Amino acid sequence: MATRLANWLDERVHWQGVWQAVFLRKVPKVNWFYTLGSATLFVALNQAVTGILLTIYYVPTPDHAYDSVQFITQEVTAGWLIRGLHHWGASAMVVLCVLHMLRVIFYGAYKFPREVTWWTGVILLVVVIGFGFTGYLLPWDQKAFWATTVGTRIAGVTPVIGETLLRLLRGGEELSAVTLARFYGIHIWVLPAALLLLIGFHMYLVIRIGISAVPKRGE
Amino acid sequence: MEKPALPRRNFLSTITLGIGALIAAGFGVPAIAYVVGPALKKAQEGEWIPLGSTGKVELGTPTLFNVAVERKTGWIVNQEKISIYVLTTDGRDFIAMSNICTHLGCRVRWIADQDSFFCPCHNGVFDAQGAVLSGPPPRPLDRYEVKVEGDKLYIRGV
Repeated sequence: MATRLANWLDERVHWQGVWQAVFLRKVPKVNWFYTLGSATLFVALNQAVTGILLTIYYVPTPDHAYDSVQFITQEVTAGWLIRGLHHWGASAMVVLCVLHMLRVIFYGAYKFPREVTWWTGVILLVVVIGFGFTGYLLPWDQKAFWATTVGTRIAGVTPVIGETLLRLLRGGEELSAVTLARFYGIHIWVLPAALLLLIGFHMYLVIRIGISAVPKRGE
Repeated sequence: MEKPALPRRNFLSTITLGIGALIAAGFGVPAIAYVVGPALKKAQEGEWIPLGSTGKVELGTPTLFNVAVERKTGWIVNQEKISIYVLTTDGRDFIAMSNICTHLGCRVRWIADQDSFFCPCHNGVFDAQGAVLSGPPPRPLDRYEVKVEGDKLYIRGV
């Protein structure tokens, strides 16, 4: 029955070819370091699911942000768990990205014909750091406020355009409601859109080109 | 060679599916609890609100108390001022009534000459116990639970 349904669907949407290409493709014999990319993808998925759940109660205005986060952590059922997963997942995301990148560097996997995969990976790392920077402000506690004050000031010492950059980031002279709102918008709309597009392209290339084998001595 | 009942390939995909299902449940169950949690939470019993000394209540005459109460919805706490008429005939048993008319929510006032509460909006009249004497109100004045500790009077919303 299940096979018949699968075949019926395959004649119409040809999903089996896609399945074959994604999950049943041939890979060289590699080691556990080659799972770091998948691990990163899994944590990214975790961030997406828990992030969406957090928006159900979180409110990005100075008069409610802190209280709504406290509400999530202390009063909502499993709220501590959802927020905890998002909080620790954020750190795991950065760590895994870097480890994945180190694997690619040490095995020389960034070389021809995989340069474009490498570039998208580099942009992905920047996006992930952007997530970390904007997400850090959202709890709107002392740590968040001052970390963002310092962080935006660092952008402010850029030669020539520093002052403009600082004002653009903060949405004005001071860290304010405007800053919180734009960081939130960037965190939940701009960066996720970029992440989705880049991951899609990154994985298309991984599957299309195939992964590199572990280099042999003398190669 | 005999063919094993569960070939290695099937075994691995079964394990993979199983772990996947566990992870999905690990996210799914807390996610559902998280979303429906506050909706299922019952309104918790209110706290006892201190009104003041029992000595302030005049025998046989409803006496007005004004207190501020806190109402919490989600993470927002609102201060609200409520007014309560307290009546006692013997100085031991007290009844506490809201001063909100049960008709359309105007505030009633005790008129000592007439020995009754009057609502200015539609001429609702209640007696000292809060029972409807005349006019449109559909039910007596709402009452609060009352507790006396020492000589302190406490009420609790119903």
